[in-house]
Amino acid sequence: MKLDAFYYFWEFLAEMTSKELRARYKKTSFGFLWMIINPILQMLVIGLVFSFFVKNQVDNYFMFLFIGLLTWSFFTLSLTKCTPSIFDQRGLIKKAYFPRLVIPLAILLSNYIHYIISLGLLLIVLLFVGKFTFTSLIYLLLTQIALLIFTIGLSLFTTAINVRFRDVNFFVQALLILWFYATPIVYPLSFIPEQYRGIWYINPLTGIIQLLQHIAAQSQLPDLNGFIANLLTSFVFLLIGVFIFQRESKNFDDWI
Amino acid sequence: MKSQVIKLTNISKLYTLHHEKPTLMERIVDGKDEDFYALKNINLSIAQGERIGLIGENGSGKTTLLKIITRITSPTQGSIVTKGRIVSLIDLNAGFHPDLTGIQNIFINGMVLGMRKKEILSKLERIIDFADISKFIDIPIYTYSEGMKLRLGFSVAIHTDPDIIILDEGLSVGDFEFQTKCQRYFNDYFKSGKTLIVCLHVLDFIKNNCDRVLIMKDGSIIADGPISLIDKYETHKI
Repeated sequence: MKLDAFYYFWEFLAEMTSKELRARYKKTSFGFLWMIINPILQMLVIGLVFSFFVKNQVDNYFMFLFIGLLTWSFFTLSLTKCTPSIFDQRGLIKKAYFPRLVIPLAILLSNYIHYIISLGLLLIVLLFVGKFTFTSLIYLLLTQIALLIFTIGLSLFTTAINVRFRDVNFFVQALLILWFYATPIVYPLSFIPEQYRGIWYINPLTGIIQLLQHIAAQSQLPDLNGFIANLLTSFVFLLIGVFIFQRESKNFDDWI
Repeated sequence: MKSQVIKLTNISKLYTLHHEKPTLMERIVDGKDEDFYALKNINLSIAQGERIGLIGENGSGKTTLLKIITRITSPTQGSIVTKGRIVSLIDLNAGFHPDLTGIQNIFINGMVLGMRKKEILSKLERIIDFADISKFIDIPIYTYSEGMKLRLGFSVAIHTDPDIIILDEGLSVGDFEFQTKCQRYFNDYFKSGKTLIVCLHVLDFIKNNCDRVLIMKDGSIIADGPISLIDKYETHKI
């Protein structure tokens, strides 16, 4: 019986994720091809803009920037789409009891599939120029675990709280603008004076983005202690997120 | 003696009413939230095969009670034990994704109601047949008429093979043919000795189909007994 519920959960999640994906590309002539065209277009635009208009002070700036922006867009998209998701899907919530966790997780997963495809394209380029090693693979796995843990934890938290306090949605949108500049995406952390770098590591994305940039652009590795701190913070976010979500989800119906 | 399928013990449900005040200042000065008990200390047990009609004025707590039985919301106090698969036929038109096809929506809806994928696959043909929409099954739902959506929602819901059905208004919007189909389904359903809870303002359905009546008022069950209670209710004796 328990096992049945487990399989049911994953099947349901898979179905909802594919619904997310299908609904997004419905009525487009290219359909799922957009999942590949989109990142290639982005890559071209970023490459064009930054090789012509911006004087680079960072080695392999294009790669450096591209992997950071990709990761950021996964993070920001997940957060902005998850936060109001319970309200958006109130038709389902009011219809029957089912594990509410499926709703935000399906959004996260569909975003993650997009992200993985873009990342894969980038890796092909890296392999082609011979910059991808076994160590890179280990680093890559590490960043993905940390990124997922953090994004899931934070998204579940904002999703659950937003049901009762709709302000959260607006707050998140404003926060993300600030957060973008507070994360070393367009600039390397070495631009920040050394005594302040500790502050940057409060942000769990710092270490993740830095490690990814190292893989893609051979930039400096993140500070080890900083990265471990990031991992721990991410994990705490996951625990809090799941706990709050499960507690609040019993009464989502009362607020929507 | 028949086995109990639903048992509610000391159930209360508290809602917080949030009074909207036009300005921020007023909200700070006197924007207190008010607590409101939609259900007060409900004790109820329902045996297998009982067909219950739930009546009462608007706002007497009927819907809240049904939501607690279906676990759509949870009680503030008290405990609830249920046995078997419960399906609610409330809001049958809701929860469809307009851009996805009938088939895709059958899967999502079926899973929302607790079915496994292979179960839906094995019943797919019967679901489509009952809803009578085979011609439109691979067309996006937004092109469906309200009646088609209702039939599809109903068909998916009953094919979960529920042990307990919760019914609200709503089925009355279907056309005559659909109504007869529903009645036929319910006759078979009753024959198999399963449980029904109905909450309708059209008392005729309850008179024809139920064998026990619960009357609610202000969050409490004020009367519980045989179908003859309806007559008293109608003549305002309760």
